[in-house]
Amino acid sequence: MMEQLKRYFRPEQLRELSLVFLIVLIFLFFGSQIQGYFSPRIFNRVTSDVAIIAVVALGETLVLLTRNYDLSVGSIVGLTAFTVGKQLTAYPDMLPMVALLLAISLGVSMGLLNGLLVSFGRVPSIIVTLGTMAIFRSTLVSYPGNKIVVTNDLPQWVLDLGRMQLFTIGEFNIRPVVAGGLVIFIIFQLVTIYLPYGRRLYAIGSNPDAAHIGGLPAQRIVLIAYIICGAMAGLAGFMFMVRYGDLTVTGAQGMEMQVIAAAVVGGVSTNGGVGTMIGALLGALMINLLQQSLLRWLVISDFWVGALLGMLILVAVTIDAVIINRLRDIWTQRGLEIKSGDEKKVIKEKESHVA
Amino acid sequence: MLRRLERLKSWEGLLLLILILVIIFNTFSTPHYLLVQNQINLFQLHIEKIIVALIMTFIIINAEIDLSVGSVMGLAGCVMAFLFERGVPFGVCLLAGLLTGVLAGAINGFMVSYVGLSSLIVTLAGLIGYRGVAHVLLENRSVGNYPAWFDRLGQQPLIGPLPLAMIIFFVLLVIALVILQRSGAGRYIFVIGNNREVARYSGVNVRRIKMTLFVVSGFVAAFAGLLLAARLGSMRGDTAQGTELDAITMVLLGGVSIFGGSGSLFGVLLSILIILNLRNGMGLLNITGETQTGVIGALLIMSVLGPNIGRGVRDAWNRRRRVQRIRVGEEQKGG
Amino acid sequence: MTIVETKTPILQIRHISKRFDTTQALDDVSLDLYPGEIHALMGENGAGKSTLIKIMTGVYHPDEGEILLDGKPIRVGNSVEAQAYGIAAIYQEPMVYPDLNVAENIFITHRSRRLFVNWRKMYSEAEDILAKLDVKLDVRMPARGLTLAAQQTIEIAKAISLNVRVLIMDEPTASLSAHEVEQLFNLARSLRDQGVSVLFISHRMEEVFEIADRVTIFRDGRWISTLPRSEFTRERAIHDMVGRKIEEFFAKSLGQRGELLMSVRGMNKENVFADINFDVYGGEVLGFAGLVGSRRTDVGIALFGVEPADSGEILLDGKVKKIRSPEQALRMGIAYMTEDRRQMGLTMPMSITSNISLPMLHQYLSRFGLVQRRGEEATAEHYRQRLSIRTPSIQQPVGMLSGGNQQKVMLSKWLNTRPQILILDEPTRGIDVGAKAEVHYIINELAAQGLGIILISSDMPEIMAMSDRILVMREGRQIGIFTREEATQEIILTAAMGQNGGVMEAA
Repeated sequence: MMEQLKRYFRPEQLRELSLVFLIVLIFLFFGSQIQGYFSPRIFNRVTSDVAIIAVVALGETLVLLTRNYDLSVGSIVGLTAFTVGKQLTAYPDMLPMVALLLAISLGVSMGLLNGLLVSFGRVPSIIVTLGTMAIFRSTLVSYPGNKIVVTNDLPQWVLDLGRMQLFTIGEFNIRPVVAGGLVIFIIFQLVTIYLPYGRRLYAIGSNPDAAHIGGLPAQRIVLIAYIICGAMAGLAGFMFMVRYGDLTVTGAQGMEMQVIAAAVVGGVSTNGGVGTMIGALLGALMINLLQQSLLRWLVISDFWVGALLGMLILVAVTIDAVIINRLRDIWTQRGLEIKSGDEKKVIKEKESHVA
Repeated sequence: MLRRLERLKSWEGLLLLILILVIIFNTFSTPHYLLVQNQINLFQLHIEKIIVALIMTFIIINAEIDLSVGSVMGLAGCVMAFLFERGVPFGVCLLAGLLTGVLAGAINGFMVSYVGLSSLIVTLAGLIGYRGVAHVLLENRSVGNYPAWFDRLGQQPLIGPLPLAMIIFFVLLVIALVILQRSGAGRYIFVIGNNREVARYSGVNVRRIKMTLFVVSGFVAAFAGLLLAARLGSMRGDTAQGTELDAITMVLLGGVSIFGGSGSLFGVLLSILIILNLRNGMGLLNITGETQTGVIGALLIMSVLGPNIGRGVRDAWNRRRRVQRIRVGEEQKGG
Repeated sequence: MTIVETKTPILQIRHISKRFDTTQALDDVSLDLYPGEIHALMGENGAGKSTLIKIMTGVYHPDEGEILLDGKPIRVGNSVEAQAYGIAAIYQEPMVYPDLNVAENIFITHRSRRLFVNWRKMYSEAEDILAKLDVKLDVRMPARGLTLAAQQTIEIAKAISLNVRVLIMDEPTASLSAHEVEQLFNLARSLRDQGVSVLFISHRMEEVFEIADRVTIFRDGRWISTLPRSEFTRERAIHDMVGRKIEEFFAKSLGQRGELLMSVRGMNKENVFADINFDVYGGEVLGFAGLVGSRRTDVGIALFGVEPADSGEILLDGKVKKIRSPEQALRMGIAYMTEDRRQMGLTMPMSITSNISLPMLHQYLSRFGLVQRRGEEATAEHYRQRLSIRTPSIQQPVGMLSGGNQQKVMLSKWLNTRPQILILDEPTRGIDVGAKAEVHYIINELAAQGLGIILISSDMPEIMAMSDRILVMREGRQIGIFTREEATQEIILTAAMGQNGGVMEAA
């Protein structure tokens, strides 16, 4: 029986289950403390916010799986949201599909820059994305003209899209932004399990040396991961615009931290090779739910968000380091202890140690 | 050591060249550029950053990184301001600020040295977390009205034309130079950065040294945060945001390897001068702070990309020469 | 046994040469590999074995010469091309992806034309291959935490899935238990019987005798000889590998046994070693013999405090001591010289001086914590002379020295800690014969001065010649301690391998 269990469930899945458990716990606890917690309004707010963060987190997870980081996603989201908003304000007749494509292609080009620098320029991803985070944000800030976008100036369909009800379950409606997020999630889940490309991401993060010797086209794979991550950030920028309407040049500042926190809490390892889309989604859900709940319950300000996130990341990573590794040892067969790639202190090549 | 010195010499030579170019360019666009007062102003504007860059040099040479320095700066200042708002005696406020830095550094250090987490993720969490606590304390208020002596120390010259912060920087620079190049601690830091296992097997107490470095980093960041509060005359929740980008750029541009084990303060000093003059020049051309940050970001990337490209070109060149040599050899043998 | 000469070779290495800066790694080497044979390649370190493998797998390109596959010349540009030609290699340290499961590990490097991963098909094909190899492994298990032997099996399975024709095994038995070695040999035989050509690199005589059909010997980058197993003898092997007769080697002078320096009682470390008991006397060399993987290094680093034991007692001067860190060990007069001088022994970019003084740096500091360069340099100079370290200057970065001189720098580093007990782990690995002799001479001298020396070595002749007593370990267990008089190669080897494995030639 234990053997059967061991075959099909891994410690990572245990983690996902505990996340679900925690989320339900949070849900029930705050539901008992806050009036009107189970209302459609809160449902919409939470799901919309989660959808945006989740979309970026899914893209970021692809990058994290390869043992790299992308810190520039916040700037990409801000830049694409603002640019598309500005364009729609100037050209209200622009087709919605064109606006969407504009957002995504902006994201793709920024992701391309990141990817080229990391995979072909061989610059550690922390350095690259720290730099592009600043570069993209400064590009946004120097956008000519007014530094704001106002909801009222946007074409009607944008506002409608934000409020449209696609499906209704009882009192709760699923909005396009949320539906879009779910679709992306399903696609990514399939990619990471059923597409050879997805599996190769795990291979590269798990043992980059073996991947190199084995002839896996690591550079191309990492490049594509960054492009997709950028595309997702661009898509999220479009969703951001739809959701918020009023935009400034500081939009989505700091989102990269939320996104990484979501992934890390969701069990994605910063060392690469470990992590699932479900985990990232659950992580995003839990963090956002916690945030929104605390906001309403303690009437604490938005200002607590940062402190909370920082603590959550630390807790999640510590749990991973201390507990999950122990579990892994118990889960697998005993025998001569092997030092796997990330335990051996090959500091020179391993980018993730420092960068 | 010799070969590395040679290579470093060429990197530092390049930096020197760039510095001269930047200064010449700036002198042309602004008439009073090289006046002493202007140069001092130039330093003053970023003095806290370059103080932090000094300790960051040690940390990166040790093959770690501290992304939380900006947030610790902000947090220390906010703790001080928060207590000051509530009427706590100012000296105690200052002390509390410094202690905050020590505590933050200790948390970072503990997680890295004893729990064994990667310094990247720990200080990333710190970046977010400490900044978050700073926001909690001051929300969106701005706290100022510090005792006159505090503001005066921060803004007025102390000895000759030099304000306190600059004097402190020079003192710290000398201390850092001595420690890094000549002391046992400096030697240990290099060895650990080069190869942690060798250090461990040689009886070096790696954990204690790393812990100490992070605590010192927290302390120095806190100190810089208080200096900043004095210079600005006020404190906000988002003060010193983004400092880590500049500090890390100064260190990496200065030729310190991101992988640890090599680097010199001389190169860092040169790169500090370059970045300061660059920012100053951009400011004089009316380029906004945010855009300047973008340029610094590009510089950061180039500081690592540049040598990579150089190496790639050199390898390709060598390969071609070797093939040529073989071909000649074959010809000589009669094919 | 297969009749080798009548078939055509799969792979022919013709006059391959390769040079690295100042070293001629391979010099006009030729070799033929036939289908259905296990061909052993022997030679000391630096003989050129790994260079040849790297050329065969496309990691390096030869300066001269060519490789023929089925009679046609091929160019192996990279490891992917090697794979396509059916040439695969497995190494001592298997390269698996710890986070992927067994089946995925086998198939991940396949160029898949398919759009989707068919998990069920992958699992069943993986099980088929493993069945062919007569191995039981759960293909759904993640590779992390699998034993080294299992990981190697995965590598072999991977090679088979790619229709390997020439399988190179580079020192694969280094970290295996005796039982696992036997399993590996069975795998190799099974492959051979299926027509694969297996190139088996080893410097372990016993293994070669057991498994090889033909034996080729390299020395200093040159091909020396190729003999069928029936004509192959131990003397011939050593003669070809070393170029000198055995007697010219080394011998420890018999000396007086001094006082009891250290006693180890019942030392255990879970899953690593168990029930280790021995004494170390001054003036004596205690050899630790065993196959690599017998966990001798782990005992050494336990004594040095790097990875302390779980239980047991260590008595120094009759008092029980706890050794929990290298700092402590040094203070108690114990020093440990690692076998891996690149990764753990020396800081390559730093000078000889800095490397030697490192463990004792605190003694070279002035009142303010500044390093007294002059004192350091005097020390380095002293050792340069005493150990005859060949270098233009003591400020030379250690990375630029030859292997033998690096070893001497490492030795100086530990001698400088004035130890009572010196643990040497493979001190002559990877250095040329001349330097080896020098190191042995030094060990001799040290013992004569009253040090207690633990010599961990996988080189049987070395251990036999240098030790006063020999402790044999196998798979983490202590098998016995033999005196110099009692010990013969057979006894030691039998103890080390745990069975009468294969034919052994008398020394």
